[in-house]
Amino acid sequence: MNEFLYAFAAYAVIGTAIAVMAMKGVRTQEEYYIAGRKVSGLVSALTYAATTYSAFMMVGLVGLTYASGVGALGFELFYLVGTLFLLSYYAPRVWEIAREKGCITPGDMIAMRYGREVSMVMSIIVSVALIPYISVQLIGVSLILEKTSAMSFEVGIAISAILIALWALLGGLRGVAWTDAVQGVFMLFMAIAAVFWVYSYGFSDTSFFDEVPKLGDLLVVPNKIWTPVRFIALVVPWFFFALTNPQVFQRLYIPKDRGSLRRMVILFGFFGLVYTILVTFLGLELRVLTETGRFPVVSDRDAVTPTLLRLIPPWLAVAISISIFAAAITTANSIVLTLSSMLTRDLFGSERVAIGRVLLLILTVAISIFALQRPNYIVELAVLSSTILLCQLPLILGVFHFSRGGKVTGIATLTAGFTTAIVLSYTSASPLGIPASVWTLMVSFAVFFALSAFEKQQERSHSEDFQALG
Amino acid sequence: MKALEGLIVVLAMLIPFIAIKSYDMATYTYWTLISATYLCYIAVARW
Repeated sequence: MNEFLYAFAAYAVIGTAIAVMAMKGVRTQEEYYIAGRKVSGLVSALTYAATTYSAFMMVGLVGLTYASGVGALGFELFYLVGTLFLLSYYAPRVWEIAREKGCITPGDMIAMRYGREVSMVMSIIVSVALIPYISVQLIGVSLILEKTSAMSFEVGIAISAILIALWALLGGLRGVAWTDAVQGVFMLFMAIAAVFWVYSYGFSDTSFFDEVPKLGDLLVVPNKIWTPVRFIALVVPWFFFALTNPQVFQRLYIPKDRGSLRRMVILFGFFGLVYTILVTFLGLELRVLTETGRFPVVSDRDAVTPTLLRLIPPWLAVAISISIFAAAITTANSIVLTLSSMLTRDLFGSERVAIGRVLLLILTVAISIFALQRPNYIVELAVLSSTILLCQLPLILGVFHFSRGGKVTGIATLTAGFTTAIVLSYTSASPLGIPASVWTLMVSFAVFFALSAFEKQQERSHSEDFQALG
Repeated sequence: MKALEGLIVVLAMLIPFIAIKSYDMATYTYWTLISATYLCYIAVARW
């Protein structure tokens, strides 16, 4: 598949050139990890979107919509309105506090409020949650590359790892943000191209809207797949994604002024809405075509997009494959850079950019080795990641709304929430019919409120400062 | 006020589970319109 290799080479060269251009002036951690807080609203929005929307969209969500119907749209839009709700209230406060206090990592804010030990524990929990998640991204796109005969699985992992590390090493967040911006636009255009191609291929002699009633129960909720409990179990972790996922939380620090922050939130919302509509519509189109005998029946939902890629013209298949690859890379390198910042500053207490670069390399190697081994439990861990991250929510909200609690409260809250998520997921238990994600939230909040009632803050002045800024 | 806004948005997003049972694109369109309306509200009224 030479077309793919040529296009892929062009993609790698363009991305590397952008990252090289972003290298200038990257000497401090503030420059390296948050681009000196000088990013425009448009680039902030695109990097926020490209970081958020991974390969899950064009592979997982297309397949989920194909298999389960409109409930997939509801699930994804629930995430979007939750994010808009949280960002519109908390983003200005987070941005202001980060600027005022010189925060670089999400852990900096937690350390100032609850103590450094809490941010150390948080950096470890976040790494445990997100390393498998990134590995699954690499596994997913490398399998697609292998299925489309573009390259072997191992070469796919190796090239992904090289690009993730290279672009983040060269330009830090500025390099990642600029490459994210270009790739985000490309992802959106390729989703549009896929929707239009499928429409012209399958609905030239009939209307999609005339045929769609054939999907029956897939057009309503609840149905056999989207039961209320399943919907809640999936929606709860994603609703709070904007606060609990450090790679997007850290992006709230980067806009250059309040106007840019506003543009970031609004443009991200617009991007997310359009991208979600396109991707879910594509899934419905393909399912209608299956019902009318013009698209194969695909029983494995993750195989829906690869099946489509084999049907469409090679040049378009190449472009869409690159966009899926880009979606995985933009998510992965953003997470790796954020984890590097948290391990460097929060865990090891270092102010040196060089340490961060070394840790970034180590993280990338670890992720690649994880991905190459493809252990069975890795998928479960990746799915679990958003549930694990919920244990941070009481501490993050406590920064703005609650003046009590310190080191003991922070560590106990994280530990209790993390343990709940792991135990319930490992045993596949749902006590009282309540999903693991909801239990994780309830246990974390219960421990937080119970212990904070007895524990005053160590440095009260910080809390007062936060409340005043909030 | 903030909690009320959040509650209204969540309830509005849950309406298809109890009130929309037509086998066409009604649920899809409803969710899209609610999300678009909320985005417009955030863009115009919040900042």
